[in-house]
Amino acid sequence: MEVFQALQRLHMIIFSQNVSPCGKFLAAGNNYGQIAIFSLSAALSSEAKEESKKPMVTFQAHDGPVYSMVSTDRHLLSAGDGEVKAWLWAEILKKGCKELWRRQPPYRTSLEVPEINALLLVPKENSLILAGGDCQLHTMDLETGTFTRALWGHTDYIHCLALRERSPEVLSGGEDGAVRLWDLRTAKEVQTIEVYKHEECSRPHNGRWIGCLATDSDWMVCGGGPALTLWHLRSSTPTTIFPMRAPQKHVTFYQDLILSAGQGRCVNQWQLSGELKAQVPGSSPGLLSLSLNQQPAAPECKVLTAAGNSCRVDVFTNLGYRAFSLSF
Amino acid sequence: MENYLCKGHKALEELKDDEVIRKRLLIDGDGAGDDRRINLLVKSFIKWCNSGSQEEGYSQYQRMLSTLSQCEFSMGKTLLVYDMNLREMENYEKIYKEIECSIAGAHEKIAECKKQILQAKRIRKNRQEYDALAKVIQRHPDRHETLKELEALGKELEHLSHIKESVEDKLELRRKQFHVLLSTIHELQQTLENDEKLSEVEEAQETSMETDPKP
Repeated sequence: MEVFQALQRLHMIIFSQNVSPCGKFLAAGNNYGQIAIFSLSAALSSEAKEESKKPMVTFQAHDGPVYSMVSTDRHLLSAGDGEVKAWLWAEILKKGCKELWRRQPPYRTSLEVPEINALLLVPKENSLILAGGDCQLHTMDLETGTFTRALWGHTDYIHCLALRERSPEVLSGGEDGAVRLWDLRTAKEVQTIEVYKHEECSRPHNGRWIGCLATDSDWMVCGGGPALTLWHLRSSTPTTIFPMRAPQKHVTFYQDLILSAGQGRCVNQWQLSGELKAQVPGSSPGLLSLSLNQQPAAPECKVLTAAGNSCRVDVFTNLGYRAFSLSF
Repeated sequence: MENYLCKGHKALEELKDDEVIRKRLLIDGDGAGDDRRINLLVKSFIKWCNSGSQEEGYSQYQRMLSTLSQCEFSMGKTLLVYDMNLREMENYEKIYKEIECSIAGAHEKIAECKKQILQAKRIRKNRQEYDALAKVIQRHPDRHETLKELEALGKELEHLSHIKESVEDKLELRRKQFHVLLSTIHELQQTLENDEKLSEVEEAQETSMETDPKP
């Protein structure tokens, strides 16, 4: 039994992380379909022991891997193998692991159920956007649970989503190498940026897939097969190319920096001018997700957590070094 | 036997203790320091009251006065020390409050500086965005030059279209003139043909008229 558990831990991949609305807990989903909740406030406190770095509660959420998670102010929504399930944070923290509801977007064929790679919350309309293997973006209204729109356009599966807040637009990046901008009010595609067609950033030996997206209203950063590039959205021009050879799997804007992580141990910090400010090594051989805890209710738990191809979640209290790791 | 030895031992120890206590009481029975001085003073006063000779009384009196002044001196010293302690306490309280104030001030400054850092980071981000866009724009050629080129091209176009128009006009004129020429030629041809036909018809009529009147 122990050997089995040890083998499981060895082959674990953590795909997604999410912070609770109160800011004190971190949920992590892995490739076995389990979600583990870690108590950040206990692990960061001055009397933290070895047990504080283990999960408070672990439960089997899905039959397949948990690729993506988001939190509303009371619920945790997780998605992976074609379904999205909701859990109440208050219940989970009391170790009661029953799902609140589960929904499946209307797929064209009922034979194969495509996976859901990305979830995005649109707070203005109180809806959730799902995107994944069936190349469409589905919008689900959180109050009624009905699926309102299906946006077509991608020719291959979608990896990542981002929300552009000012004009409520959604950006999606996929395996077909294009970043498409969709206007939510008219449910139409407004702009398409085919990253691999631009010579400066395309890297044909890596492929054309877009693995990660982040946007800051006027600017967008995307990476994956092509090099990590900063784009100015209005003019659709690539302005800065970050000299990183390994494909990046997660990118985000933070203050005046861009943080990215991907193949390779380190979390990279870039300035907008393209300079590498710092490279902080983590404990996993490859990183798949980054999460910044900026919840206003818990300023003492303001940390960056990174997880990927191992059973450990690295916690960075100060962007300069890795403080410790939480482990499944 | 051993019990008796133990008891005897204990009894001896108690005796020893008593001796020690007695000796100490004898030496130090009046308490320590100032208390002892006051007790001695009282005793010597009583002795002095009961003393006989004047000289002895006088020396005793002197001795008593000196003891008294010693007592007063030590009392004065203790009062001064007490005052000093009070003032030290006040001083420390003051310093403590000052330090607290400066700590609070430092906290505020830290918060201010943090805000300033955020602001500076925002400014830096904006500047870098500006730089990035500026780089892209620089790659495109200068607007004035492009405008000038556009103007020059426009002028050339105009000039060329003028030439084209004049050539076309000339062509039209020539065409019309040729047309006139050709039509006059055709008319002349027609008139010549008509004349020929008329003259043929007349000849034919004449020959038929010559053959007819000879019956």
